[in-house]
Amino acid sequence: MQAVSQSLRGASPEQLLDRGSAQLRNHVLRDALLLIVPPALACLYGSFHLFQLGWVGQFGLAALVAGTISLAAVAVFLLFQPKIPSRDTAAQKIDQLTGAKDRFVTLATITSASCAPELLGRLRREAAGLQSRVEIKRDFPYRVKKPFYYSLIGAVLATALFHLVPVLQSKLRPVAPAERVRQLAEKVAWRPNLQEIARSLQVLAVKLEDPKATPQEQQKLIQQMQQQIEQQQRQQEKQPLQQQNKEEQQADRNTLNDASATLKSLEQQSGGGQEQQKDKAGGGGDIKSNLPQDGKGESKPSPGGDGQSKGDANAQMSDGKQQGQSAQGDAKGEAQKAGNEKTGQSKGDSKSDQKDSNQSGGEKNQEAAGKNQSNNAGKGSRSKTSEDTPQGAPPSDRMTQGGDGAGGLKNARYVTVQLPEEVGAEEKGQSSGTKNSKNNRAGAKVPVSNTPLPPHLPDAPTEQQRMPLEYRGIIR
Amino acid sequence: MQPEQFNQVFKALEAEVRKVIVGHDDVIRKILIAFFGGGHVLLEGVPGLGKTLLVKTLSGALGVSFKRIQFTPDLMPSDIVGTEVLAEANGRREFQFKKGPIFAHVVLADEINRATPKTQSSVLEAMEEKQVTVFGESHLLSSPFMVMATQNPIELEGTYPLPEAQLDRFFFKLLVAPPTPAELKEILKRTTGAENGAVSRVLPEDNGQLINEMKQLLRQVLIAPPIEDYVVRAVHATQPGPSSNGGKAAPSIKQYLRFGSSPRGAQAVILGAKGNALAEGRVHVSYEDVEKVLYPALRHRIILNFQAEAENVSADQVLTEVVKQVART
Repeated sequence: MQAVSQSLRGASPEQLLDRGSAQLRNHVLRDALLLIVPPALACLYGSFHLFQLGWVGQFGLAALVAGTISLAAVAVFLLFQPKIPSRDTAAQKIDQLTGAKDRFVTLATITSASCAPELLGRLRREAAGLQSRVEIKRDFPYRVKKPFYYSLIGAVLATALFHLVPVLQSKLRPVAPAERVRQLAEKVAWRPNLQEIARSLQVLAVKLEDPKATPQEQQKLIQQMQQQIEQQQRQQEKQPLQQQNKEEQQADRNTLNDASATLKSLEQQSGGGQEQQKDKAGGGGDIKSNLPQDGKGESKPSPGGDGQSKGDANAQMSDGKQQGQSAQGDAKGEAQKAGNEKTGQSKGDSKSDQKDSNQSGGEKNQEAAGKNQSNNAGKGSRSKTSEDTPQGAPPSDRMTQGGDGAGGLKNARYVTVQLPEEVGAEEKGQSSGTKNSKNNRAGAKVPVSNTPLPPHLPDAPTEQQRMPLEYRGIIR
Repeated sequence: MQPEQFNQVFKALEAEVRKVIVGHDDVIRKILIAFFGGGHVLLEGVPGLGKTLLVKTLSGALGVSFKRIQFTPDLMPSDIVGTEVLAEANGRREFQFKKGPIFAHVVLADEINRATPKTQSSVLEAMEEKQVTVFGESHLLSSPFMVMATQNPIELEGTYPLPEAQLDRFFFKLLVAPPTPAELKEILKRTTGAENGAVSRVLPEDNGQLINEMKQLLRQVLIAPPIEDYVVRAVHATQPGPSSNGGKAAPSIKQYLRFGSSPRGAQAVILGAKGNALAEGRVHVSYEDVEKVLYPALRHRIILNFQAEAENVSADQVLTEVVKQVART
């Protein structure tokens, strides 16, 4: 019986089953490869991309590549191993294709020792007669499965992300000037003719990192470096292009051009940084003050350093003394908040509450005025609204025009303090109050009038009750 | 015995029975499969469908001895298996065993559910052990031995439903359906005309050897392990409770089951599938063979609960659900 079974093993139905199972095994292997290879390639691409960006070194790249390949191999193995099709699976497919009524399944799974050889021989003959109906390559075609497409799309998206992440990161977190100079130095160092420039750039990078260096000094260093590069560029341009080193010379020129452009941008960035530092020190360019000018009680707001202030602020003052005392005590805080949040776009007129103004400290007002004046003056070219400068002199006993502010700011010209926004908004039926203005709701709701108030009496008790406008004259 | 010879004899028997019986091709085939599988058959159908005629015709075609027992409430076990009677021999009186009608190759137990359980159970030993015991003395039955019982699904007054233990001894339970109009026309033509169809003997006079060889061949039919697993899973899926391997019937099956099939059910499925394969000229069992014999082999072995009866859910419907839920591979 065993001999019979061995002779049957070499016959064609068994070979057909073997070929069918091998074909199915190839299909499963292809499925696993197609599922794993796209993300693996994306990972490899990302590794090289990081290497090009300088985020990883050569060893890092090698480790990433090796890790990716190893992981991919393990993943393919893990996906392939449990799905290796048996001969039963191939036999079932062949049965379906040939209509053999499970003859091939029986042949593939039955143990010849436990069955009658005559019946097994007959079964084998019947299967052999049916095997002409099936051709493995034709009837076992490979079809790409859906997971491959998902894997491919995921890999493409990941590759796109590899490109986007550095861009986004550079936008969110700009590279420090010293780092940019260092990268530039590394780039320049690749050119043999520009070694001197590269060394100078390295020195510049070290100096830029020095915390003791002031922005002016940094800017000066950058300018010096830029001059050196321009000088080198001129030298390069003077030299005629030689046929042999034409490409080298062109590459040198390109590198120098890049370096020059980078340094220019750094210089601009350094200048902007200084401006920003000044802005921060001065409480922001959006600060407005309703500090009255020339006793007329009206002042137009300064657009601020960045020109975003569009609101008008009308300060209502009666006389010079009142003006001095009515400077809003929280003007400094409001102005700083407004400057930081850049919410100085208050629309509509806002009028200050005289009572509150009287209660606020005039000394603080003076301090704020001084700061803001010096701040606006310090911005120079950014403050282009000199024609809006309120005319008239501030109260001489409260403010020193053009003098140094309490914060040490120089060249302050004028200060505009923004009124609470809700006063103007409520009068116009708008509700554009900010959180800060909501805190001042009690003061903002007080009706205001441009009716001159009686002269200020220093010893007189402060007005306790807020009265409607129409009754004010009667009571008075 | 060669498979071709089996198939030839089988087809000849079917053809011979069809000379008398109109329709019921599936029932005829299943009865023959059960006969060569060594089992017994329970035929269920309303009166007048030709159940008794079918059994008589089949036994005539097989050329084996045939006895009919009409089961009635007053039928006693001794009326079936026989009894010892006092007889005079050689001048002396002694008890002699007088064989009952069970001593035949094919026994028709007509309307078996009309006899009392005591009488019904008298055939239990005969069906399973192929022997009867009277007054402590066992008497072997002749081979082949087959009980073909009939029962009426209506007129249940005064009947005694067969106990599960006895039902389990039937290889197949076959439902005899009413004839179609064409079949009815043919029945009328055959039974109301001048000529009555007569069955002739297919098997030779000394048919014992041949029948045994055919039975032997049926058991040698090849069955692949995956198909055996399929049968096991199908039978196992009829078990309502948890089993040793942790599996149990699906909720849709379980809600209608009180008891599942016994191992005899799986044996009947495998042997029936083998017989079906041979009848179709194959030497191996296919999944189709299994599904063809799954219903007659298991429908009387699964016990439905009250909910199934209340909702008029039949055993075949439950088995259909089983076939749906049990995957082939």
